[in-house]
Amino acid sequence: MGYKEFVKSIPATMRELLAERLVDVMLEAKDGSRVPSSLAKTILFYWQREQLSSEAGLTNLLEAVSYADPDRAFTVMEGLGLEELKLAFRPTS
Amino acid sequence: MRSFGIEFVPMELFWRTTYYAVQAEHLGYDSIWITDHFNNRNVYVSLAVIANYTEKIRLGPGVTNPYLIHPVMTAQSVASLNEIASGRVICGIGAGDRTTLDMVGTEMEAPLQTVRESVEIIRRQIARDKGEYDGKRFRTSAGARLNFKVGDFIPIFIGAQGPKMLRLAGEIGDGTLINASHPDDIERAVKQIRRGAERGGRSFDELDIAAYTSFSVAMDEKSARKPVVPVVAYIVAGSPPTVLERHDIPQEKADGIRKDLADRNWGEAFGAVDEAMIDSFAICGTPEQCIEKIEVLFKTGITHFVTGSPLGPSVRGAINLFGLEVLPHFKSE
Repeated sequence: MGYKEFVKSIPATMRELLAERLVDVMLEAKDGSRVPSSLAKTILFYWQREQLSSEAGLTNLLEAVSYADPDRAFTVMEGLGLEELKLAFRPTS
Repeated sequence: MRSFGIEFVPMELFWRTTYYAVQAEHLGYDSIWITDHFNNRNVYVSLAVIANYTEKIRLGPGVTNPYLIHPVMTAQSVASLNEIASGRVICGIGAGDRTTLDMVGTEMEAPLQTVRESVEIIRRQIARDKGEYDGKRFRTSAGARLNFKVGDFIPIFIGAQGPKMLRLAGEIGDGTLINASHPDDIERAVKQIRRGAERGGRSFDELDIAAYTSFSVAMDEKSARKPVVPVVAYIVAGSPPTVLERHDIPQEKADGIRKDLADRNWGEAFGAVDEAMIDSFAICGTPEQCIEKIEVLFKTGITHFVTGSPLGPSVRGAINLFGLEVLPHFKSE
């Protein structure tokens, strides 16, 4: 399942909080340079419009944290009880 | 009118600095200043990206210097930026910092004359003046001018700390970026700017005078103070004897910090920074404490307050805290 499909399954009430947490992961990740610049610019596009918690905004954020810090993303999903989404970030080692 | 700005040092990935800049615009800050050091991301590349993702906030270099960047190039850069951010561009220029210039073997020769001529050249370039310029530090031949028109006024702010540069800023600048945080230092600076304005036959009230501070805000005081320690160590190490004396800092203590910084003994250098030094060279604390300190600064005659590095223990958190807890106090007045 792609991130877009995962996002559709996230309750609307939780999207704002998830976006907040994912932005923290993005901004604090040591490997932020692994986020492709085109993806970073897409995220800035949604941020400028304050739409990071929209379906499209969250989809792009999820993709970005998969590059920047998948382990912390896993912890975030776990903390929010997003079991299905958590699996997309399950640590491989 | 009171304005509020924020400084970013483009040490981070472009999208992080841009994220913070957009955040500042959302929260109602008025200006963004990007530092210009050869070893960080390029100031105009950073500004161009920020300009692309913002709509209202004013933005510009804070500050560039004429030793590493010729004033015709500064003029070209801010003029080009104005096409992306029409009417929002501001230009901060100063003599630069000696440490960085030393690193590339560049001497800070005749800083007052150099800054004075630079401001004139930038203005002439933006105005597409056809005449030649024959200064003591710079020369441009007749016809050396931009090939494109600049439709907006670009105010030039002079970054200054010493009395002569402050007077020059009052005499020729559209604004001043006072490199200080303590109210006594700011008050002295404002007096010098006023003298400069009088010397230039200008109205002091027309000038935009900014306190360009070392700033840190957090929910608790201890967390706010901690991040300013390295910044204060560098300020103490670089302060002239008159400034140290004014703040009761023994010269030998400052010399010790300078030596430790040069030897990269960070623990020793930062450990020597005491509470009084922090209070002398930074605005930091809880939002309530910051409001109180900023109020005092505005009473000195400044019109603009700039939150400079480090901002706080978390940049995102500090911008939010300032924007939500401090700015409304002043904006609602």
